[in-house]
Amino acid sequence: MPAPEREMSVALARSAGRRVLWFLFVSSLIVFMIGPIVWLGLRAFSGLWLYPQLLPKQWTVNGWRQVFNDPNLSHSMKLSFEFAPVVTVASAVICLPAAYAFSRYKFPGRRFLLISLFAVNAFPKIGLYISMAGVFYSLNLISTFLGVVIVQLIGTIVFMTWIPAAAFSAIPRSLEEAARDVGAGPLRVFFRVTFPLAAPAIFVAMILSFLASFDEAQGTFLVGVPKYITMPTEMYTLVLNYPEQVAAVFALLLAVPSVLLMALVRKHVMGGKLAEGFQIR
Amino acid sequence: MVLPPVAVIAVFIGFPIVAAIAYTLGRAGGPNSVVASLGQRQFIVQHGVTLDAYRDILGNKTIHRDLWATVWVTVLATLVVVVVSWAIALYLRFSNTRLARIVSGLSVVPLFIPVVIASYAMLVFYSSDGFMRSVAYHLGWHSFPTLGYTLWCVFLAEVWVNIPFGVLMMSSGLNGVPDNLIEAARDSGAGMPRVVRSILLPMTIIPTVIVGTFTAIYVLGSFTVPYLTGPTAPNLLGPSMTNFFSAFNQPQQAEVLAIVVFVLALGIGAVYVWANVRTGKRSAVAP
Repeated sequence: MPAPEREMSVALARSAGRRVLWFLFVSSLIVFMIGPIVWLGLRAFSGLWLYPQLLPKQWTVNGWRQVFNDPNLSHSMKLSFEFAPVVTVASAVICLPAAYAFSRYKFPGRRFLLISLFAVNAFPKIGLYISMAGVFYSLNLISTFLGVVIVQLIGTIVFMTWIPAAAFSAIPRSLEEAARDVGAGPLRVFFRVTFPLAAPAIFVAMILSFLASFDEAQGTFLVGVPKYITMPTEMYTLVLNYPEQVAAVFALLLAVPSVLLMALVRKHVMGGKLAEGFQIR
Repeated sequence: MVLPPVAVIAVFIGFPIVAAIAYTLGRAGGPNSVVASLGQRQFIVQHGVTLDAYRDILGNKTIHRDLWATVWVTVLATLVVVVVSWAIALYLRFSNTRLARIVSGLSVVPLFIPVVIASYAMLVFYSSDGFMRSVAYHLGWHSFPTLGYTLWCVFLAEVWVNIPFGVLMMSSGLNGVPDNLIEAARDSGAGMPRVVRSILLPMTIIPTVIVGTFTAIYVLGSFTVPYLTGPTAPNLLGPSMTNFFSAFNQPQQAEVLAIVVFVLALGIGAVYVWANVRTGKRSAVAP
């Protein structure tokens, strides 16, 4: 074979080899990423499923009936939907003014405070919750509604300050100044100009906070048990003590709010809002 | 205006951590008095400090194995997350096909799924009657290992949970590298490996370090994933400190473990801050 042709066939073989590798990579990625979720979905409807069959032998909705008839499980659903909105609103009230201040005013210690807010995320969560729980005994916060709200609130502070702060910073000051020039007071400027422009980012922050609270299990488990068992904490018991199918159904139900709400804010999260927040400025 | 969140953090994070340090050193007064009156097997001093609680727990053979398990799973999961996120983000940076969009969609699936469910799904998927073993059986591999309730399952689940953050971070970093830089390098004859090594990698050190440090800290501080998918022992320190706190009623030992994990995380966090300070200006995604 003349040299150039040999080179070409080598190149072809190489690109074919690369294709096979890519095919393997992508297909194992598909199995790895969504396989477990699909498999769990099938479990929720299976009546009889013996190893090593790839599909259930009988289908049923019994698991669903059991979940909705179990008073413990429906109670934990109710609790989850009570905690998440309370935590989200509390977080917004506490953090949004700070987000505005961080983006609009230069004050001494600003950088230090920003970093220390951020440092919350740099603590290993379970260690943090253990330390908090130790002190919560003395503060009478163990097994109280307020205690659980505080634990869940901690996980939302970063979202609620960083994302809105970036949005406030992105609003040109000249817009606010123009409104001032035509006679609007500072409050009017804020509510007619600044707030509407930042509203989408605030909405994203609120959704992420809602989900952070709704899905929080570790801290709630330590501080809320036995009185306040939310849906994700209930999963710990379910996995160990209930039929597999019931756990699967409950897991799917628990995923519904996350899937719906994340789908709403998907564009913002994927667009780099989250990624940008991780740089220290 | 910035006072409320700072106060929340000072009171509910800073203060408990200081109290925890005091408690692990043998001081049971003030905020620790109630927890100390409930706990067992405590090492308390009235004056000065004592390291007995640290000696007690760090001399524990089970804890040694937990500590090693934690370190190994953390290192391995972090490495895999960094490499896979890099590979996916790199592919997405240079490809705009339908396949690329599928890969991009797949890699953020875990964002939509609460960790509790992810852990449970992973457990069922790799269990003795799970998908992997069933498929392997049909392919003729009858002795495919059961990964559920092993550290391998913990490792796989930690990777699964951390992939979206890694891919989003790396994509944002790689998209920040200007096209003309890459084209210029290619025009002068650089192949893809060379472009990655000489241009992309140096310009995305910060996002790479962020992915590494945050994944490592996440794994160190995780409870749900190892608790649901891992073995009884040795498991990661998250479940074992929770056991000491609740099941064994030894809060002092639990808090010692928490401090140990903090110290490990502090080392990792130092890398993050160092990278930010050192290459702040050169990074592609820096402001």
